[in-house]
Amino acid sequence: MKQVMHQGSARRVAAIAGTLLLALQSWTPSSAGPREQARRIHDRLAGVPPTDAVLTQMASDISGGQADAAAQLAMNNKNFYNVTLKNFVAPWTNRDRTVFVPLNDYTATVIGMVRDDVDFSTLLSADLLYVSNASGAPAYSASNNDHYQYLDDNNVDLKATLQPATQSGLLGLPVAATAGIMTTHAAAQAFFINGTNRAMFRFTMINHMCRDLEQLQDSSLPPDRIRQDVSRSPGGDSRVFLNSCITCHAGMDPLAQSFAYYNFDSTTNTLQYTDSTVQPKYLINSDNFKTGYVTTDDHWDNRYRQGANQVLGFDGALTGSGSGAKTMGQELAHSDGFAQCQVEKVFRAVCLRDPGNAADRASVQTIKTKFKTTGYKMKQVFADAAIYCMGN
Amino acid sequence: MNRMLRIPHLLLIGLAALALNACSGGAATTSNPNGNGAVTAASYIGPAPSTADVQAFKINLWQNINTPNRCGNCHKAGGQSPMFARSDDVNLAYNDALTVVNLSQPDQSTMVLKVAGGHNCWLSSAQSCADILTTWIKNWAGGVSSGGTQIQLQAPVVKDVGSTKTFPATATDNGAASFSTTIYPLLSQFCSRCHSANATTPQTPYFASSDVNEAYANAQAKINLDTPDLSRFYVRLHDESHNCWIPQGATAVSCPQSSAIMLAAIQAFVDGIVPTQVDPSLQLSKALTLYDGTVASGGNRYDTGIIAKWQFKEGAGSVADDTSGVDPALNLNLSGDTSWVGGWGVAFGPNGGEARGGAASSKLYNMIKGGGEFSVELWAAPANVTQEDSYMASYSGGTAARNFTMGQHAYQYEMFARSSATDANGAPALLTSDVDRDAQASLQHVVLTYDPVNGRRLYVNGNYTGDMDAEKGGSVGNWDDTFVFLLGNETSGNRKWQGTIRFAAVYNKALTQEQIQQNFAAGVGERYFLLFDVSALTGVSQAYVMFEVSRYDSYSYLFNKPTFISLDPAAKPGSIAIKGMRIGVNGSEAAVGQAYAPLDTTVTDANYTAGVGQKLSAVGTIIALQKGPDSDLFFLSFDQIGSAMHVRTPPAAPQPATPADKPESSQLGVRVFSEINASLSEVTGVSMNDANVKATYALVEQQLPSVPTIESFVASHQVGVAQLAIQYCDSLVEGGQAASFFPGLNLSAAPATAFADTSALIDPLLAKGVGVNVTTQPADADVRAELNSLVTKLESCGSSCAADRTKTITKAACATVLGSGALLIK
Repeated sequence: MKQVMHQGSARRVAAIAGTLLLALQSWTPSSAGPREQARRIHDRLAGVPPTDAVLTQMASDISGGQADAAAQLAMNNKNFYNVTLKNFVAPWTNRDRTVFVPLNDYTATVIGMVRDDVDFSTLLSADLLYVSNASGAPAYSASNNDHYQYLDDNNVDLKATLQPATQSGLLGLPVAATAGIMTTHAAAQAFFINGTNRAMFRFTMINHMCRDLEQLQDSSLPPDRIRQDVSRSPGGDSRVFLNSCITCHAGMDPLAQSFAYYNFDSTTNTLQYTDSTVQPKYLINSDNFKTGYVTTDDHWDNRYRQGANQVLGFDGALTGSGSGAKTMGQELAHSDGFAQCQVEKVFRAVCLRDPGNAADRASVQTIKTKFKTTGYKMKQVFADAAIYCMGN
Repeated sequence: MNRMLRIPHLLLIGLAALALNACSGGAATTSNPNGNGAVTAASYIGPAPSTADVQAFKINLWQNINTPNRCGNCHKAGGQSPMFARSDDVNLAYNDALTVVNLSQPDQSTMVLKVAGGHNCWLSSAQSCADILTTWIKNWAGGVSSGGTQIQLQAPVVKDVGSTKTFPATATDNGAASFSTTIYPLLSQFCSRCHSANATTPQTPYFASSDVNEAYANAQAKINLDTPDLSRFYVRLHDESHNCWIPQGATAVSCPQSSAIMLAAIQAFVDGIVPTQVDPSLQLSKALTLYDGTVASGGNRYDTGIIAKWQFKEGAGSVADDTSGVDPALNLNLSGDTSWVGGWGVAFGPNGGEARGGAASSKLYNMIKGGGEFSVELWAAPANVTQEDSYMASYSGGTAARNFTMGQHAYQYEMFARSSATDANGAPALLTSDVDRDAQASLQHVVLTYDPVNGRRLYVNGNYTGDMDAEKGGSVGNWDDTFVFLLGNETSGNRKWQGTIRFAAVYNKALTQEQIQQNFAAGVGERYFLLFDVSALTGVSQAYVMFEVSRYDSYSYLFNKPTFISLDPAAKPGSIAIKGMRIGVNGSEAAVGQAYAPLDTTVTDANYTAGVGQKLSAVGTIIALQKGPDSDLFFLSFDQIGSAMHVRTPPAAPQPATPADKPESSQLGVRVFSEINASLSEVTGVSMNDANVKATYALVEQQLPSVPTIESFVASHQVGVAQLAIQYCDSLVEGGQAASFFPGLNLSAAPATAFADTSALIDPLLAKGVGVNVTTQPADADVRAELNSLVTKLESCGSSCAADRTKTITKAACATVLGSGALLIK
């Protein structure tokens, strides 16, 4: 690469640019008009500044009381998908929760679902996978990420090229074993690898219910489904179990049983599904508590329907139990807590802060209600949040 | 009423219904004989044993007890009856001994029970004497019984569930003694920083919520109404030093004072509650304590070849007795950070403790050296899986010389065994596979065996770990008889191990896997069958729900194998639905551990077997200890048992309090790495796939802002932004797109000519890089002034200007705008 400027020049430019930055920080407009509001909406949704033509159109829409149209126009920019949504989703796909990971089938599927206004409550249960039809891209593989790595390396327009496909077709899973993003290759590689599959449950709760296990603790739930591998007397002190371990495992283990037939094989780099056969990882360390629960199938029960976590608002139309990850995913995604979480995440991404006061909370409630009653369209959530935070 | 039941797969025997008068009325029982003295039996000169069984009695029991310092002082010829320790005729002694032993169930022998009750034990612990006698009788009976444990179920004395205190309905009940005025003020003041939904990092349960009702609902599980000082609120402060505070009038954080204040508040709350009878609407079984149950211990261990054994039943004092019955007794002295564990065991704490033997350690040398093989068996619970070079059991003389050692190395166990194939330190050590993670912070049965053929082998929970010993084939002829045996550390004191040992034994043979599995299956600790009377609820004669219950550790009981059973062999249950079974302790249902609450099963004639019963659940659960096994009174409650019903109304979920408002935060943010890259591409029209751009972006990607929070923007971010902006501007100018971006700007001209009017340079930058007519962006005039100043400064190179100076100045002006807050801030 040609040396365009030596390091000293870079520092000088940085210093001058920094001066401009400081000048801007010290200056605050008294109010924002339609152009300023349009600029912010575009900045927040597309991640890039608008062209003057787009800005003018958006400002016109806002002036005409059509702020939603302005937001939709901003989301027509490919960078809403390639940049904003990719950054929005990427941390969900790995244990470190870092945004610095390549595009993968998990991220692409969420981006595709948003683009196509797919019912987002199927996020954890759909037989759906988005692939690109970009020329030159390697075909999707169930054993590597080459397809998406190519798209990432070449900044391929995801808005234009993503196409819906099925996991049952591409991953070879039975339709009943598909569970939305939980059964993508990327999610499996991150959360079904080694361990006991509790990681898939925990990270699903973090990413899609906005609650880590610490926020779900409830010691009142029955411990009958806690597996044998959980010591009831860690280090010889059962108080640790009674006061700590049980508060998470009593609710988690009956739900995580839904993943009993899944494993990520790091040798073949593929997601395994052993229909009707419990994975050995569910039966490890069985001597830690011999009379603990022995997993025999993938039946799950949602104990959070009792106790303090009722506040998650599970769907009364569902039974709260079932078999397999697909129905468990439906149980979670049909809850009020799931919808609330999606809206809060979008609010944070677009408004650059958490809902912090009564007005913010009321707005989140309004957006959530609309989200739930109009087909769980995530794009609309982005639009509504951006409009709320466009300034006035 | 004492009905007996035959348990299939277990052999039933009757207890010997013999009354042992023994020395109870004699003057010779005024003091305990000194069993540790050097008193030895004189050579036997009486009649020869008449049968093989008499011979077995002679060598296994009689020789051990007929000395004056044990039973021979009283139960001798002409002494107290029965004269089982008489020295004149072993055949007569045998006949008397048969009246006080139970060869099928040695630990239930009258002789054993008598000594266990405090009758003339020659050690400080009566239990240790009883265990030693049990061993001797067991050896007489044939070492290892091939049958199972013999158990007689006995109907317990009928007890009703007592009264108890229950939580008031609301946080404000009981006025000045209400939760809201006693405990809540402390929680609200000192715990809300975490245990509140409004906390920065909320930690459930929210017992310090700003909503007192939510706090009360969550606080109840942390308050013990029967024993306030067992309340978690108190224990967390007092025992665990969890976020104590600076009490009023103090100058520093004080856990003792904080905990005392908390305890006083809890006590005030508890004192305001009037005890009530157990909820009368519950369907209850009868009640009983742990010791009302039938003893289920006496598991079928394989003890042949045992030369030292520690069961840690003493529970007090500073000596753990060797109860192997093999003299000399290798008793261990406890010192340092050690404590007795409920349900038998010794805990070795973080400050280093040990249980060390003395000169009698040479017993191990003397009894192992001849055969050349040995085993060490432990029931151990490592306190953690991070400690390394921590020795659990060692027979050694320091860190450089040993006969054998079992240690823990994080998730691995390590074994040293000195032989002709190793050095004097028993090295190289044999470590279990790191991948297998054999060592866990839970109670494990760990057995080290050594024999010349296989060398060292380790068995964890009955299974061989598969780790082969490369140093096998040696002999133990180079062992040192001056070494000392100890648990929990090295003799030098610098290999401390943290955890609990609940059983330890040394054998002078290498146990087989089958024998080890037998001992693993036998378990450790005391177990009882608790029979909860449900006759009245079911209408079935002598009907019980039976649990196998044990002390799990110092803080809980293990409830296991719930079984519906009738002691009436003729009873038929018919069809009895059992739903929602809960374990109660001291008048109220246990708050945590109700594994049988979801139970939904039916006892039927088809599934019920007389004498065996019908198992209700395969899982076990642990229930917190409250007052101790002497006092804790257990009972069962049912949502349904037979036709008896209790309609349980689940408590409503506490409603979360309205969150407190957060401090106002910036309405502005900065673009993050990929947004900056895309923005620069959008503004300049240079593709992100431009080779130079890609290379620079790869270089600075993680130097750019990763979060949009403007407060976290730092100087290094700005340098990264500048580098990327410079690259885009370079590609713009050098890539031939400059003409369309800067129409009217002659990049080939000298600076003075090209920038005679800087609007050709600045106008496009303002339009595309800053935006038109957007008042939240920097004012055009301000930017123009900055750029003009920059151009003026850079073009003042006179005749020494390089040929591409105009391009360079263009790049600089471009980078200044695109790398500035005008583009960066969103």
